[in-house]
Amino acid sequence: MRLSVAAAISHGRVHRRLGLNPRSRLDLLRNLVTALVRHERIEAPWARADEMRGYAERLIEYAKLGDTDERAMRMANFWLTEKDLIHKLFKVLAPRFQPHPGSYTRLLQIPNRDNLDRAKMAVIELKGNPFPPLITPRRDTDKTLLNQLLKGYRQDMQQAAAP
Amino acid sequence: CRTSSDGEPAKFQPPPKPVIIDRQKQREERRFLSPEFIPPRGRTDPLKFYIERKDMIQRRKVFNIPEFYVGHILAVTTADPYANEKANRFVGICIQRGGKGLGATFILRNVIEDQGVEICYELYNPRIQAIEVLKLEKRLDDNLMYLRDALPEYSTFDVNMKPVFRLDHEEVPVNKLQVRMKPKPWSKRWERPKYNIKGIKFELPEKKMKEAQKWNKPWLEFDMMREYDTSKIEEKIWKEVSEELKK
Repeated sequence: MRLSVAAAISHGRVHRRLGLNPRSRLDLLRNLVTALVRHERIEAPWARADEMRGYAERLIEYAKLGDTDERAMRMANFWLTEKDLIHKLFKVLAPRFQPHPGSYTRLLQIPNRDNLDRAKMAVIELKGNPFPPLITPRRDTDKTLLNQLLKGYRQDMQQAAAP
Repeated sequence: CRTSSDGEPAKFQPPPKPVIIDRQKQREERRFLSPEFIPPRGRTDPLKFYIERKDMIQRRKVFNIPEFYVGHILAVTTADPYANEKANRFVGICIQRGGKGLGATFILRNVIEDQGVEICYELYNPRIQAIEVLKLEKRLDDNLMYLRDALPEYSTFDVNMKPVFRLDHEEVPVNKLQVRMKPKPWSKRWERPKYNIKGIKFELPEKKMKEAQKWNKPWLEFDMMREYDTSKIEEKIWKEVSEELKK
């Protein structure tokens, strides 16, 4: 009977522990969200970028509710420390993401940082940004067995239809 | 014919037009989905909640569970093999509604012969034979656990109370009662902002109230990931439940 429990079991807790305390964790994520809204593509440690992704997407969903909404304005006021970005959020980003129902960000891993800590880094960007596209890994869907068989079947059908 | 005090014949007053209250429309506008139908946030398979909901609806078809909130005064009759009439009736104020799915519970509190009694009943327990709502009133909080540390007069309710008759199915009235407490120590420090209690009349000195605000976490209301938006889930479940219950 194993009496010692592994220390890494979180039992359903979803928030990571960053910074010194919960207040500092929110401040860290707030700075990252402000930077993302300003520059639309940032590099950060992977854990922080992953935490920040959820908050950024919910902020955009709040912004979609509109400028006049009291709660949306208070949220934007708290989360964006640079106040000129509130205007950008409501006037530029909200209309850009209005047709999309879901994910507004893209998170991709980068080679580790060059410092002594060799931290796992990631780049997080808002979709539809003006920069050249990132190199996303693409799986070649033409070479899978099912797709090859379907291709062969389609060719056979065409040959049988037009001899 | 009638003459008014002036001595002239009174002008013909037509009878007032009858006000037609469309009961059907009002009842449809007001929907109440019991909180135990809403599944909690987590990684469990929705199939589990679907099966539970089917069982809950099955039970509701046989036995009527009325709409009630925290703060209502209910009378519950359970089947008890050791009681005189094989049935046991308890009257009390609902202080908490907990649990989700078939294990949903509610706690009724009453003070009987100077002894505070709290009984936790399960909504879908087959031993329960009747639930009657005696008095409808919502309170300012969702959780009335502080009644344990309040003066006993706020928890005493007459066991043979008659149900208060309410005609309109419009709004549940909110009772803005501010409860007075016994002297400290309490079972929990109710003045702290984490409990967010609005229904107590705090008679503590200002210094204590200011000290309690030290535990205030103002950033918690802006933490977006902690919010659980249930509106869409509620819509779906409401449609499902109301369709099943109409059959």
